[in-house]
Amino acid sequence: MKVRLFTTPICPYCLTLKRFLEEKGIEIESIDVSSDEKARDEMVEKTQQTTVPVLEIEGEYIVGFDRNKICEKLGIED
Amino acid sequence: MIYDLIIIGGGSAGITAGIYAARQKMKTLLLTKSFGGQMVHKSVEIENYPGFDKISSRELIERFENQLKSKDIEIETDKVLSIVKKDYFNILTEAEKQYQSKTVIIATGSEPRKLNIKGEKEFLGKGVSYCATCDGPIFSNKKVAVIGGGEAGFETALFLKKYASDVFILEQDEKPRASKEIQEKTKEAGIKLIVSAIVKEIKGSVFVEEIIYNEDVIKVNGIFIQIGYVPDASFAKELIDINEKGEIIVNFETLETKTPGLFAAGDINIGKVKQIITACGEGAQATIYAYNYLIKEYGSN
Repeated sequence: MKVRLFTTPICPYCLTLKRFLEEKGIEIESIDVSSDEKARDEMVEKTQQTTVPVLEIEGEYIVGFDRNKICEKLGIED
Repeated sequence: MIYDLIIIGGGSAGITAGIYAARQKMKTLLLTKSFGGQMVHKSVEIENYPGFDKISSRELIERFENQLKSKDIEIETDKVLSIVKKDYFNILTEAEKQYQSKTVIIATGSEPRKLNIKGEKEFLGKGVSYCATCDGPIFSNKKVAVIGGGEAGFETALFLKKYASDVFILEQDEKPRASKEIQEKTKEAGIKLIVSAIVKEIKGSVFVEEIIYNEDVIKVNGIFIQIGYVPDASFAKELIDINEKGEIIVNFETLETKTPGLFAAGDINIGKVKQIITACGEGAQATIYAYNYLIKEYGSN
């Protein structure tokens, strides 16, 4: 399963989400949108939002640390 | 199951309370939506926490959180909707769960104050943000405005200048309250200060496009609101008294509210000093008195 995490360098909520995913053993590709403008534009366009973290799971974009939705989409137990 | 202690909030006060409670072997649950509280919003390094000459808020939060999680304490990511007292304290949460506890510490701190102008709510997450450290870097090579000319507003503007092409500060008074030193820094960085600016409306289509103040307009992509913080303890309103600012009135030795067994620590109470270190101190203090209450009322924990 392809999972991408859009983050900014010192965003505490991004870190919380990243650690949550690591604890669950989910492999992620982490993208820093402050240095990758192309990824930034993609994230903003797909979510219609200017906020992080954003998690992309197989084409679906989830804004924020939406625990229930993320667990459901990844098929993991909270 | 009945807990000895439920801590509401995951900022400096709540985390310290959790660490102390675990050391007292109290059966403890901590309920919070996220960790770090207001530290999350801090865009400059912390230089007044002993043990660290300089530390980023992110790193300090991580250290706090790691230390808490290494202890024997339950943690749930959830928001408290109401708390009432019958035989025990009964807590109802957003995830529709109910918890019972013999004692409770409220440590929910404060939330960013809202401007309450047209467009603010509509464009939240679409250009409007209260967290520059989170969302600021998304605005690289874009134009942004900071609302509020206090120290935090200027710190935020300096942080944003690392990314954004243009940064404005809008302050409603004639003179900003921020220190001369930081005002000098922002000036050197090319940040434009606009004083006596009464912000009226945020406009755009899908995203923020402009901000209207007085009779003028600035074209911006991002708006960061930094006009202070307000406490919200309405979920406990039946059990507490509050002052005109909405802060919980406590006994300053025990940090107990008017309801025995219910304590309030950190920025949520009437204490005038709002610092990370004092919030930590109060978290410890409240836990010690919660423990004393437990021994007195129930004999042991």
